Amino acid sequence: MPPRLPVIAHWACPSTPATRVSIFSFRRCASSSATSPEIYDVVCVGGGPAGLSLLTGLRNSPITSGLKVALIDGQDLQKSRLPKDASLGSFSNRCSSLTPASVRNLQEIGAWKHANASRIQPYQEMQVWDGVSDARISFDWDTARPLLTPRKPSQPTTIAYMIENVNTTSALLGRLEELGGVATFSSTKVESIELGKDAEDLDLSSWPILTLSNGKTLAARLLVGADGANSPVRSFAGIESRGWDYGRHGVVASLKLEGPGRGGAEHKIAYQRFLPTGPIAMLPLPGNMSTLVWSTTPERAAKLKSLSPNDFIAMVNAGFRLSTADLEYLHSIPSGQAEEIAWRGKHTPINEAQIPTNVVEVQAGTVANFPLKMRHADTYTGERVALVGDAAHTIHPLAGQGLNQGQGDAAALVKTIEHAVTTGQDIGSLLALEQYNSDRYAENNAMLGVVDKLHRLYAVESGPIVGLRSLGLRAVDAMGPLKGFFMNRAAGGA
Amino acid sequence: MAPSRAHNCVRILRYATTRPLRSPSIASIPRRTAPQAAARGFSAQQPKQHEPAKSSVDPTEVSHFNNLASSWWDPQGPSRLLHLMNPLRHTFISRCLSAPAGTPLPSKLRYLDIGCGGGIFAESAARLPKTASVTAIDPTPEVLKVAELHQRRDPLLKQPGRLTYLNKSIEQLPIPTSAEEQYDIVSLFEVLEHVNAPGPFLTQILPHVKPGGWLVLSTIARTWTSWAVTNVMAEDVLRMVPKGTHDWNKYVNEAELRDWFRKQAGWGGVGDGMKTLGVMYVPGFGWKEVPGGEGWGNYFFAVRRDA
Repeated sequence: MPPRLPVIAHWACPSTPATRVSIFSFRRCASSSATSPEIYDVVCVGGGPAGLSLLTGLRNSPITSGLKVALIDGQDLQKSRLPKDASLGSFSNRCSSLTPASVRNLQEIGAWKHANASRIQPYQEMQVWDGVSDARISFDWDTARPLLTPRKPSQPTTIAYMIENVNTTSALLGRLEELGGVATFSSTKVESIELGKDAEDLDLSSWPILTLSNGKTLAARLLVGADGANSPVRSFAGIESRGWDYGRHGVVASLKLEGPGRGGAEHKIAYQRFLPTGPIAMLPLPGNMSTLVWSTTPERAAKLKSLSPNDFIAMVNAGFRLSTADLEYLHSIPSGQAEEIAWRGKHTPINEAQIPTNVVEVQAGTVANFPLKMRHADTYTGERVALVGDAAHTIHPLAGQGLNQGQGDAAALVKTIEHAVTTGQDIGSLLALEQYNSDRYAENNAMLGVVDKLHRLYAVESGPIVGLRSLGLRAVDAMGPLKGFFMNRAAGGA
Repeated sequence: MAPSRAHNCVRILRYATTRPLRSPSIASIPRRTAPQAAARGFSAQQPKQHEPAKSSVDPTEVSHFNNLASSWWDPQGPSRLLHLMNPLRHTFISRCLSAPAGTPLPSKLRYLDIGCGGGIFAESAARLPKTASVTAIDPTPEVLKVAELHQRRDPLLKQPGRLTYLNKSIEQLPIPTSAEEQYDIVSLFEVLEHVNAPGPFLTQILPHVKPGGWLVLSTIARTWTSWAVTNVMAEDVLRMVPKGTHDWNKYVNEAELRDWFRKQAGWGGVGDGMKTLGVMYVPGFGWKEVPGGEGWGNYFFAVRRDA
C-alpha cells in the first residue's frame, strides 16, 4: 500500500479524536459533539459529473441503496443547476460530447429524463480533416456500414450528443433529489483527511476521517475522490499521477452561426480541423448555436481572447478556411483581422460544402481558455479509496472523451460496489475494489494513449509524416467497416 | 507438466497442517503417494484413531497459523486464493436458498460457520443485509485472535450479536434443543479434507441445522488431478499455497458425500435438496464455475434438512 499523506488545508483541530466512537454512540449524540465522526459507507468528495453519477448509480440500485452515503463539495451545488428559464439563445461555454454509452448509463440510473432536452443536440455526422494536406475523413453511420449491406432501420444515426456540462450535473442533481438519502455538504470544504485511531473496541486505523469546514467529522468506509485533477483524496492516498502538459491551451466560446448547419436541423454535423498548433473544433448546439474548442499555443490563446468580437469571429471562420501560413500571420497583427480575412478569403479556394457555416456572433463573456494536460494516476484504488473522473485521469479534449471516461468510471465503480455488497465484502477493501481498477485502468490508458498520439501526429507541419497521415486518413475513409469499428469505439461500445 | 494445464484447480488453505517437509524439486514427485482409486470408507467404519469426544481435528495436524496470522487478511498474501473464492460461496448459497420446494426460511438468517479461520466467510456473511447473526467457531486460538482483531476494523461487525467468534470445536458446541437454537445455514468451508473421519464429524454437525436449512460445504475431490494440482503444483512448484497445507489422502469425493447423505434420514429428500458446484481457479481470471468439476477438483456441496 502506498504511504498515506495527511492532507492539510487549514488545521481546524490537529488532533481529531476520530477514534472514541462506535456506530452506536454517534447515533446517540450525532449533533452533540464534533469529536465523534459520523460513519458513512461511501463519502464522495466532489459533485462534478463523475461524482454525481456515482452517487446517483448507488442510490438508484436496489442492491446499494441501503448504503449510507455523503457528498461533499466546496462549491455551491445550486450553481451546478441549469436555471429553469434558461434561454435557448445562450449556452454555457463548457459543453461535452456525450457518447451513446454514457447516455445509456444516464438513462439506466434515471437521470437522463431530468436533463433539459431542448438544450441537447444530437449530431449525425463528423467531418475531420488535415489542416496541412486537406486529407479528409467523414463519419456517419450510413457510410460506416459493411459493403453492400442495406442500411438497417434499427441502426442508430446519432454519433454523440452535445450537452452543456451544467445540464448533465443538473439532471444528476434532479435525479438525486428525487431518490433522496444523500447527506449533502454543499459549499463545504474538506479541511483535512487523516486515518482514524485504534481505540479499545474499534480499530479505525484504516478508515479515512474527514474534517469539514463546518466542523463535522466523517469516517469513510470508502472514500471516493471525484475531486478533480488536483485531487486532495489522491494525495491523501499517496497515489502518484503522472503525465505532461501539452504547452497548449483550449479556447472555448459559445457561437451563433448564420444558420442551423448544412444538413439542416435534423442532420447536424461536427467539424474538426487538425492544425499544427492543435485541432479546432465546431460542435453543434440546438438552433443556430455552436460551441468552439480551439487547442492552440498559450500565446495565440491569449491573443484570441484579447480580440474584439468582430475580429474573434473572423479568426474562428479563418481557422476552418485559411492556410496555416495565413493563420500564423493573422495571429501576429494587433487588430484588424476581420478586414484582412475578408480580403484573403477572396483569394483562397474554399469548398463551403465541407466546412461549418460562418460564425456571425460570439456570445458575450463566453471566450475562455484553459491549459491542456495529460495525466494518469498510477492506480485508481487504495485501501478505502477509489478515484473517478479527472482525479484519476486528465485527457486532451480533441476526442471529447474526458467526461465520458468519468461516466464510465462511475458506472464501473457502482457495479463493483454492487458485487461487493451482494457477497458481503467490505466495499472499502482493496480486494473488493480490485475489479474496478482492472475494469477501467487499461481502457482509460488506451484512450489516453490514442488521443495523445493523435495530438503528436498532427502537430507535425511538413515532411513525410504529413503525407503518411493523409494517406492513412483517406484509406480509413474509404473503408466502411473499419470506419464503423472506430465509430463504435468512439461511441463507447465494444 | 505444463503449469497452464496443471494448476487449473487449486486446493487452498483452511486447516493448514505441518507435515514432514517435502522437497520442492520436480525430481521428488514420483516418490509421492500415488493416488489410489479406492473409496474412502468414511461413513461405514470409523478410523481406529478417531476419538470424537476429544476433537474432530487430526491431532497430528499441528497449526502453523502463527506464521499466517499477520498475513491472513493481506489481499496479496498466502490467503489470496481463499479471499478470491469467498464471493462464489455466497453465489452458491444464494442458489441453494432459491432452490424449489423449500420451506421458506425466515427473512433474516442465522449462520454457523465451522472452522472459520481468520473470518473471511464469517465477516462477509455478517455484512449481508439478510443476516440475523453469525456464530463462527474455530478450535485454533491464534487464528481466532486474528479473526477477532480484524472484526474490530468494521463498526458494522461490532453491532451486538451480529458476529460472534467462539474458540470451540463443533463437539464443544451444545446440541440445540429447539429450532430457535438451530441455524438456517451451517457452513463448513475447506474443512472436511482435514479431518480424519468425515462421517462421524458430519454426524456431530447435523443437529445444528434447522429443518429447511442448509449444510453448505466446500472441499476437494480425491482424484489424480487434484493430487497433481494441489500437492505438487500449488504447494511445491508454484508455491501459491503454504507448504504442507494438504494431505491428499483425506480428500473427499462428491459421490461419497451424496451416498452418505442419502443414507441419513431426513436429509436432501425434498425437491432439489442436494446441490453441487464444481469450481476451478484460472490464473488471471479468478475462480470459475466448471460444470462437472466436482468429479475431479474443488467443489461446493450443499444438502437441505427436510422440514
